[in-house]
Amino acid sequence: MTLGGREPDNDCVADVWISGAGMTRFGKRNESLPDLIAEAAYAALTDAGIDQPDALVVGAMNPEEFTGDGNFGSLINTHLGLAKLPALRVETATSSGLAAFYTGFAAVAAGLHRNVLVLGGEKMSHLATPRVSEIIGRSIDPHERRYGTTMPALAGLITRAAMHKHGLTLREISQVAVKNHTNAARNPYAHFQEPVTLEAVMESRVVADPLRLYHCCPISDGAAAVVLTSSRAPVRVAGIGQGTDSIAIRYRSDLTSFRATQVAARAAYRMAGFGPERVDVAELHDAFSSFEIISLEDLGLMPAGKAGRATLEGETALDGRLPVSPSGGLKARGHPLAATGIGQAVELCWQLRGQAGARQVAARVGLAQSIGGLATNNWVLLLEAAR
Amino acid sequence: MIESTLPASICPRCERLVVPPAPRCPDHGTAMELASVPNTGEVVSFTTLFSPPEGFRSPLHIALVELEGGARLFCHGEETKGVKIGSRVSVEDVNSVYYFSNMGFADRARLFWRRAGARGEKVAAISKSLVQGLLKGRSSGQP
Repeated sequence: MTLGGREPDNDCVADVWISGAGMTRFGKRNESLPDLIAEAAYAALTDAGIDQPDALVVGAMNPEEFTGDGNFGSLINTHLGLAKLPALRVETATSSGLAAFYTGFAAVAAGLHRNVLVLGGEKMSHLATPRVSEIIGRSIDPHERRYGTTMPALAGLITRAAMHKHGLTLREISQVAVKNHTNAARNPYAHFQEPVTLEAVMESRVVADPLRLYHCCPISDGAAAVVLTSSRAPVRVAGIGQGTDSIAIRYRSDLTSFRATQVAARAAYRMAGFGPERVDVAELHDAFSSFEIISLEDLGLMPAGKAGRATLEGETALDGRLPVSPSGGLKARGHPLAATGIGQAVELCWQLRGQAGARQVAARVGLAQSIGGLATNNWVLLLEAAR
Repeated sequence: MIESTLPASICPRCERLVVPPAPRCPDHGTAMELASVPNTGEVVSFTTLFSPPEGFRSPLHIALVELEGGARLFCHGEETKGVKIGSRVSVEDVNSVYYFSNMGFADRARLFWRRAGARGEKVAAISKSLVQGLLKGRSSGQP
């Protein structure tokens, strides 16, 4: 490894717990971004049984471009009637939600605050699709963007390379979308509530060859929130890790796995003191269906080259060996950028507390993975039900 | 014109090459030195965009190419018909935009001839390029 830095020493990390979780329904929403964030914030505070936290961390990727508003730490604490509380805004592109989670976690673990309200949200469905794609695409390397590379274009290159290397098939990739739509149909918070057939996915129009429309996540609005606390609660943060890679895809030596996920996973497992074998349920970043398969392997949840087949055989379904994205994932629950990572934590929290309704699975340990940009800045979070 | 060079930069510490030239090595942060690399290489992957961003024609063919020496770069292409991962391509700079084109058998043979000529190993190179041409020709029927 080059310039890897020293591995962090986790012996001094104090226990941090999730005492409250809440989110809005994801999808096309008419409310403003501050109103959506407030809806999630009050749900999480009520769930935690507190009126106000000691501090706020707001995850937001591109609110200036999407909504025209800025200064989001202050905008949100004022909107919530908590203007006297410290607030800051955190951003790591499409993984901003878990970046905000990490910031709140670090503050509680360090003893700086007892209760931190972590918020994430995005509002973009009011803009035309090409405009949204262009704004999200600004997270791509500027030189590579001059070639018309959008997120779907880079995902198309990666998908083709993965199919070539591992013999991954379009059918296996498409099954990710089918499975996630099936799960979302049981989730009242999901953007899409209808199942889709394998044929419909495979016959949808080509977006970035070989990726088709139904392999790509939708444009969603929404917000999610958690309260992190230093006092014991039903769900503990077992581990969290960050991993990075060059924003320039041309500087990477391998297209078919994401170093940023692998490094983040290693850090999270090290902090937790256990490995992938203890993970019972996962929420993964399927911005493009092939990314769920790549991520299963990067996280050590499936052997390299096996995740496609396992998906087709139902191993990742709600009733499978390892349920993946019971919420419906980015594809069907929706992907309001900075809300997504926190939304994953909210779903895992509900799963671990046995509050996930029709999509409940048996789980003691849950893993969330969030991809920032084209896997330039990724996060892995491990949550554990208190014994 | 199939054989020429492209401007690159090289890391004095690890000898990594990048195209276009960059001030710092992506791996070491070391100041890079200017270099040049052959404009031929292999397709790492490619895609065709049917709804490209504003200002680009549709469909838009984009490839990631690894040049000899290891530097990778994004290119546009006229088409991706007949292109596969691993296809030999040459890359040209047209008004500061790189374009790839599939190297046909004749191009590859000429390239081998020219390189072999410099080393005085024409016969070996011709037979090698013929064999490679046959192999490529045979595999091109595969899906």
